[in-house]
Amino acid sequence: MAHLKSHQNQTIVSFFIAFIIFAVLAQNVWAGTQSSKLICRVETDRAILPSGDSQNVVLKITLDAPVSPAHVKRPFVNLALVLDQSGSMKGTKIEQAKAAAIEALTRLGLEDVFSVVVYDTNVHTIVPAQNTRNVQGIIRTIQQIRAGGSTALFGGVSQGAAEIRKNIENDYVHRIVLLSDGLANVGPRMPADLGRLGTALIKENISVTTVGVGTDYNEDLMAQLAQKSDGNTYFVESGFDLPRIFSAELGDVLNVVAKKVKVTITLPDNVEPVSIIGREGRIRKNKIELYMNQLYGGQEKYALVEVNIPKSTPGSRLLVARADVTYENPFTRKWEQSSGTSYARFSNDPIKVSRSTNLDVVREYQLNLNALAQEKAIQLSDKGKKKEAVRELKESVARLKQAGSQYNDEELLKQAIELEVQADKIEDQGMTKKSRKLLRTESYQKKNQQLSQ
Amino acid sequence: MTSKRSIIIFWALFLVPTLIIAIIAFKLLSHEQERINRSAIDALSQRATLISETIHLTIETVQDNLTKSLFGLDSDKLIKKLIEWEETNPLVRNVFVYKNKKNLEYPVRGLESTLEQRRFIARYDSLFSGRTKFDFNAMSLRDEPKINRVSDSYSGLDRKDLDKKPVKSSRQKLVALSKVVQKAPVLEPQANFLETNKKQPVEKSGWIPWFSENSLHILGWVQNFQNGPVYGVELELMTLLSRLVIDFPKLSKKGAALVLMDGNGNFMHQSGKWVADPDDKPVDIIPISSLLPHWQIAVFADEKGFGSTKGFLYVSVILLGVFIAAILSGGILLTRLTLQNMKDARLKTSFVSSVSHELKTPLTSIRMYAELLLSKRVKDENKIQTHLSVIVNESQRLTRLINNVLDFGKLEQGKKTYQKTHFKLDQFLNEIIKAHSIRIKNQGLEIITQIDEQSNYHVMTDKDAIEQVVLNLLDNALKYAGNGKFIKFIIIKEDAVIFLKICDDGPGIPSTQRERIFEKFHRVDNSLISNQPGSGLGLSIARQILRDLGGDLFFEPVPGNGSCFTARIKYHGSD
Repeated sequence: MAHLKSHQNQTIVSFFIAFIIFAVLAQNVWAGTQSSKLICRVETDRAILPSGDSQNVVLKITLDAPVSPAHVKRPFVNLALVLDQSGSMKGTKIEQAKAAAIEALTRLGLEDVFSVVVYDTNVHTIVPAQNTRNVQGIIRTIQQIRAGGSTALFGGVSQGAAEIRKNIENDYVHRIVLLSDGLANVGPRMPADLGRLGTALIKENISVTTVGVGTDYNEDLMAQLAQKSDGNTYFVESGFDLPRIFSAELGDVLNVVAKKVKVTITLPDNVEPVSIIGREGRIRKNKIELYMNQLYGGQEKYALVEVNIPKSTPGSRLLVARADVTYENPFTRKWEQSSGTSYARFSNDPIKVSRSTNLDVVREYQLNLNALAQEKAIQLSDKGKKKEAVRELKESVARLKQAGSQYNDEELLKQAIELEVQADKIEDQGMTKKSRKLLRTESYQKKNQQLSQ
Repeated sequence: MTSKRSIIIFWALFLVPTLIIAIIAFKLLSHEQERINRSAIDALSQRATLISETIHLTIETVQDNLTKSLFGLDSDKLIKKLIEWEETNPLVRNVFVYKNKKNLEYPVRGLESTLEQRRFIARYDSLFSGRTKFDFNAMSLRDEPKINRVSDSYSGLDRKDLDKKPVKSSRQKLVALSKVVQKAPVLEPQANFLETNKKQPVEKSGWIPWFSENSLHILGWVQNFQNGPVYGVELELMTLLSRLVIDFPKLSKKGAALVLMDGNGNFMHQSGKWVADPDDKPVDIIPISSLLPHWQIAVFADEKGFGSTKGFLYVSVILLGVFIAAILSGGILLTRLTLQNMKDARLKTSFVSSVSHELKTPLTSIRMYAELLLSKRVKDENKIQTHLSVIVNESQRLTRLINNVLDFGKLEQGKKTYQKTHFKLDQFLNEIIKAHSIRIKNQGLEIITQIDEQSNYHVMTDKDAIEQVVLNLLDNALKYAGNGKFIKFIIIKEDAVIFLKICDDGPGIPSTQRERIFEKFHRVDNSLISNQPGSGLGLSIARQILRDLGGDLFFEPVPGNGSCFTARIKYHGSD
């Protein structure tokens, strides 16, 4: 009997231990699931709005991407490097580009897919899309790249996309990294045309990251291509920065936590959409739709929208907007969604209104306005209106300073000082190639909330 | 002079035909090269035509399929479905729904449309405002002449016509087979739907190439019912182009390129390594399709030849070069031989003159003194002795001369034989000096010998041959350095070699002549006008003898004036 009782006790203890282990594991899994969820927040520039007449309000829809879960295998990457090997790349640039390509290759896993397309007057696929098992063979091929010829950039990107399409059915993170240092002189070369190509590629979930080297490439074209396909864009003055940039870019690509992100902002009937600030999207009656191809782990991406709210009375409360986010979780390969809602209260007390200012929204709003001002300055400078361009920048500086002082925000003041230096430089020397590229790239990176810079 | 003229005439006769042959050959080769180039360009043009047909067929297929898909859209959810297309299909740039009287239903004019949509509306304003009918180009495209096409555009055709379009080539048949006709749920509309809307099925469709802002856009439209909405899509040309250029055939030939050009002459894509410039004139232009008006494939090629065709010209030019070089080399060889023969003839004439002169001089002396003695008019015993010694000396000189001539003949034919004996060279040299001391002293030259008595100079060689060498050198010294002060005989032993040197302080030999003096018949002075007797054979014979015996003879200049001839003879030891 004693023996039987002992056996029963052992069974109970074993069951209890198993239960505890299961509970701990379940908790971990639950915690993991919780942490891998994307959070959507909707905020107004002020929590309490002045009551009275109808007014415009800035909404910030923030997507907080979770950190990549450590215990889940990351989604595989389908990467196509499209390298410019035209004559202007001779010397350090091509050597550093090769080193950067090898750096990117060595960071990939065995199941990832890698391809290399080079272009000059013609386009050649030197490494067709393949797993990265034969690293040494691929490195040897990359090292044989020689510079010479024209710049068939469109053909290069098209060929890169063709290599990506070989595995488009697989649930990979699809990415083209385009490197160029010169003006496209074979194939479509207008920024709008390349933007359209980017728009078409994003429909296939292919993003294009563009890396401009030196001061002779067309930054408008590269920025448009990246912007329309939701990729990143970089400007590097010399080839020496290329391995670092490729490494940073690959860090992003290997860290994708949400794909095919669609944000739908629904406004109540009495709230009207006014504009989308800094991003492209669609306004359909009382709905605003925005698309982002990918979100990276730990990244905060947002959209700014201006809406008009109706007349209000003090003490009332209004539903301003509801945002619904749908996205594909690359780890679970399931569609998930998240949502956020914003309410506003009204008061006739200006102090209350002022105190309720959401500094984060105001700051991002000001920085995005600044990005738009930078783009406008480029346009004015292109038309030969240097003075107007400088004035545009200086007005933006004044706005940043005013907002920075009002809210005692260091970041706005710092941005104001940096922009003022640039504006003074442009006033003295005119819009140099480098200044133009810096403005264009900064503007893009701000509007797109590029993670790696 | 005659000979020179003959050579000039020879060269003239030789070169003129050669040049004529070369020019004719070059012309023929150039023509052949041109023919090959033309063939290659024709082949390129044919390739471009094939590409253009493929592009045409691809676009036609795309448009066919899109039209059929448009017909197949559910009219109840038309806008929603079209928006889905626009958002997900890379080929679709914009979509629209147009109602005849209600104007544009989608995209909505104003703030609700995106910038791209606003531009789209502006682009097709004359269509969307009703100023231009959608089927305005129906007749023009239908009547358009078919330019070497496998099929042609269609527009404003009924759906029945669309399915019955004639198939004209095997490729088109293949494509026709590959087409999956989608069954359209709206093709059989509900009766009450038709009744309530009072619509009659018409099923019209078309594709409009539309030029705006200096670029081409393509709009496809369909209309299911009379007075029903016209809806459709704008093709994304960048997607189309991006897909087409991937399959553009690769051209590996250097010096040639196939370039896809848009209506403005911009290079859309290039295949081939020829760096074509927009200002370059293409060798051929192939229009692509009425579906892509004014787009064309330009064939650029280096008219001098490209890629493999250049190889023919290179090989031909090399062969021609070899032919001309062979002919010229032959001519030069013949000329050299002729000149050499002429020189030899001159030297032989000179030699015969010299030898005759050499023979005549001692013979005259011998005869004169012999006749004098024979007449017995000379009574003085001393004089008789002198005369006799002159006769003996002259006859010896005659003998040496004849020996030289005979040896020269033997040496030339390689028939000279040597009797090698063992003897002491210093002793033998002293005997020769002693025998000829009177002759030397009569010239007023002091005899100097530098022979180390402690050493032994045993040699194993032909004594007579060595004597002949020494006498030839001695004769030369006496002839040309007679105005000097001395003649020096030196013997030096170095390891297994003995050097026998005969030096003088005469005028020496010009540096340009120092090697030529060993050539046969060569004389530093002109033999015909020289005061000095000689055949021009002495040094040549001496060197040849020494070389035959394993030694050599060479000239060493003496600082200041004078000459020094060194004979190298093998040392043999004192056994």
